[in-house]
This record gives sequence, C-alpha cells and structure tokens, in this order.
Amino acid sequence: MSEHRRYKCENDYKPDENRNKGASRWSHCRKRGADGVLRKSNAEEEPARDQRCSQSSRRPESFTTPESDGPVSRVKNWGDEVEAEEMRSNVRRDMHRYRRRILAADFPQRDRKISSGSSDSRDSRDSKDSPAKGDMETDETTLVRRQKQINYGKNTLAYDRYIKEVPKHMRQQGVHPKTPNKFKKYSRRSWDQQIKLWRVKLHAWDPPAEEGGDLQQIEEIDFDEIMDFEFDVECSADTESQCPTTNAPSLSLTEDSFTGTPKKMMKMDEDAEMS
Amino acid sequence: MENSSKEDYKIQSFDLETQKLLKTALKDPGSVDLEKVSNVIVDQSLKDQVFSREAGRICYTIVQAEVKQTNGSVFRRNLLNRLQQEFKAREETRKRSTEEWVCLVCFICNIFDYLKVNNMPMMALLHPVYDCLFRLAQSDALKNEEEVDCLVLQLHRIGDQLEKMNMQLMDELFNLLRDGFLLQEDLSSMGRLLLLEILEFRAGGWTLSDTAQKYYYSEVTD
Repeated sequence: MSEHRRYKCENDYKPDENRNKGASRWSHCRKRGADGVLRKSNAEEEPARDQRCSQSSRRPESFTTPESDGPVSRVKNWGDEVEAEEMRSNVRRDMHRYRRRILAADFPQRDRKISSGSSDSRDSRDSKDSPAKGDMETDETTLVRRQKQINYGKNTLAYDRYIKEVPKHMRQQGVHPKTPNKFKKYSRRSWDQQIKLWRVKLHAWDPPAEEGGDLQQIEEIDFDEIMDFEFDVECSADTESQCPTTNAPSLSLTEDSFTGTPKKMMKMDEDAEMS
Repeated sequence: MENSSKEDYKIQSFDLETQKLLKTALKDPGSVDLEKVSNVIVDQSLKDQVFSREAGRICYTIVQAEVKQTNGSVFRRNLLNRLQQEFKAREETRKRSTEEWVCLVCFICNIFDYLKVNNMPMMALLHPVYDCLFRLAQSDALKNEEEVDCLVLQLHRIGDQLEKMNMQLMDELFNLLRDGFLLQEDLSSMGRLLLLEILEFRAGGWTLSDTAQKYYYSEVTD
C-alpha cells in the first residue's frame, strides 16, 4: 500500500522532457542545472522519494534504475550494451574453462609436491604454460580488453586463411603465430607488444592484394600466388620445383622441399622469444 | 514443408515479397540487408498481435544463423537499437494506440524470452521490461482489459525469469497489482479475474494449483 504513491509517475511523464532539468538530490548545491540554466533559489525540489529515484537524478520516465557491472556512460544503446554483456560473459566462461583445464593439468603434479613437502606449485613443469590459480589474470576489465584485441586479429582474412592452412597439431613454436594467452599475467606493455607481433606474423597469410604496395608486399603476393597454385594442383611433384624459396603457409604440405624459414620470418622469431 | 516453416514463425501476415526476404535471412543472412530485415520485423510486430507474441523465435534463428555464417551480430544490434527507439517513444505510442502499445510490450518481452546471451537473458532489457510492466500496472492502464490481459500474459511467460533476476522489483510490481485489485473501483470484472489469477499464480511459485486451474480454466457447467 505504501509503495503505491511512488509510482504516480504517469502524471508527471513528459516524453520529451529534458532529463537535465528538474531537481536532483544535490541540486540545492548547484547554481545551474545540468543544462546550464540558472536555478531559482527555492525551486521545485522534491525530496528524494526513495534511494533509487534520487540516485538516478529522478528520471520519471523510468520506473527502475539501470544496474550494471561497471561504469556506465549515460548515452548507451542496447546493441552496444548487449554486445558488451556478451563479451563479459564469454570471458567469464573462458575463465572457468581455463581454470578447469589448468587444475586438471596440475593435479597429478600437486600430489607429488605435497608428498615431498613442497607446496610451491610454481615448480610445476613449465610455470609459463601452466600458471597456478594465483598467477592467473582474473581482472574482468583487463580480460575483456585483451579479448577485444584478440578479436581484432581473429576477424581478419589472414587469420581465416591461416587456421585453414595450418591445423593446430602442425604448428611449430616460433614459426607459426600463436594467439597470446589472455589468462597469463603480463604487464600492459608486454601484452600489447605480444599482440602486435602476433598480428604482424599473421600478415604472412594476407590474401593477395590487387595492387602491390611496397616491395615486401609484392614479395608476399608472389609467394601467395605460387602457393595457391600449388594447392590447386594438390602439390604434385612438378610444382614443388617452381618454388625454391619457402613460405610458412605451405609448411604443412611440402615439408621436404624446404631449406628453412625465410629471413623475414626468422627475425620475428628472435623478437618473439622474449615472451 | 514450406507451410510448416511459415507456421512456425507466424509470418503469414507479411506480404509475399517480405516473406521471401525473411526466409532468405533465415538461410543466408549474409546476403540480405539485415537492417532492413530488423525494421520489417519490428514494424510488423507493432501491428500484428499474433506476430508480436512469436517474433522472438524468428529473431533468434536469424541471430544464430548470422553468427554461424559470418560471426557477426549486425541483425541483433539493429534489432535492439530499433527496439530501444520504440521503447523510448512508448508513452506516445500508448496515447496514440493502445493496441500498438500492447504489441510493443509483447514484442519486447518475447525478445527478452528468446534472445539470450550465453543462455542468460539480456541484462540490458531487464529494466525496460520491468518499466513496461510497471506502466501496465498503473491505475489508468488497469482499467483497460486489453492492458491487463497483456500484463498477465507477460508475467505468465517470463515472470519467473524476471523474478530470478530481480526479486525486489517483482515484489514491488505485485504490490501494485494487489492494491489495484483491492482498491481500484473502475476495474472490469474480467480485469479483476485476471489479476486474481496472476496473484495466485505467482504465490504458487509461478504455477497454478490444480484447484485454481479448475476454477479459472475449466468450462462452466450449467
């Protein structure tokens, strides 16, 4: 019965009402309203009817106050909101999966550790690859930011072509680009650099461009055209001899004919080792 | 085969060309203008009561199809933003046409029901849906049978989900409904019946007891 009066908003409702006019909890402290207009000294100041109403600066057109997980900009459209929501829930889901995977991997190790008296799980076979729970990045904002950067890289044609050409079990460390692991602890700079290097490496799989840019690009185009031709004829013996220089995309199919990774790739390998 | 798929999505009310567009969108979303498709769907759902109650399903299918084909979410984004516009203008819509307003509420709730994000309802729609229901619980709306009918329909369909996501708001909404039932004099008897039923429905944990079911839904024997 008591709540009934709270929702008399229908009488106050003006569809085009500027939300910046009118009283809010703090309006008596301000000389001007949010829209810049000088307030009258004893303006229509409705006492905060309830906590929620005043917190949202009395928005009579809404009966409820929006809640969100993090900072919310005032002007938001539903499309963006839902996409952000989806990203957050995807990241959370990934985190649970990752945790389970890591725990499953660490479990046999932990048994031995406990029996030998050592409780430092960081000694497990490769601390880089299987961080203990405490070494994992769990901050949602960071994870979402990192995931966005990963998504930019994965939304490229180069990435599509890469994953089609090189199945996971054929990938060689250092030679083939590897998506940075967003759950490992890295400094911001370190992470950004890893992303940059990863994306540069992915460019090797760019589709052939219409017009050549700089020399490097032209070289890439030549490789791609030759490689595509090879794939078309299913790497028959004839075509292998046409391609003396190597290119990573065809590693999985014509390994015998390779002399080694091209110079361009090797330089990047050295830089990538720092991770 | 074709007839049954039309039936599933209730698109018989569209003209043939639009039906074709929708069917293409379902199979090959990348090949159509998804913004246009979303507008077509929203427009129709504001006019067609039957469609507004079922449009969620076709929207869900298009969203899934787009993700599968292009990993994109153009359709969903356009749909939601258009829906947001309509939501913002809901009071004007209500003044202009009760039927359109009721269709809008049905549609928003249907979208809330079907378009889930990782199997969770979209948080972004939670308060807008509650806003619509609170509006329907105002005294000027309760006296219209049409609006009460819409209100109880939505609560039957998604009340339990809404309550799970925000118990407090549901409690407040039902306080209004209780007050309306008890105190409001200009309610029609059907309006009162609908309210009583929904009060019992929620009290029973979003289900009706057998006796209540018999009372409200069985044929009256002379």
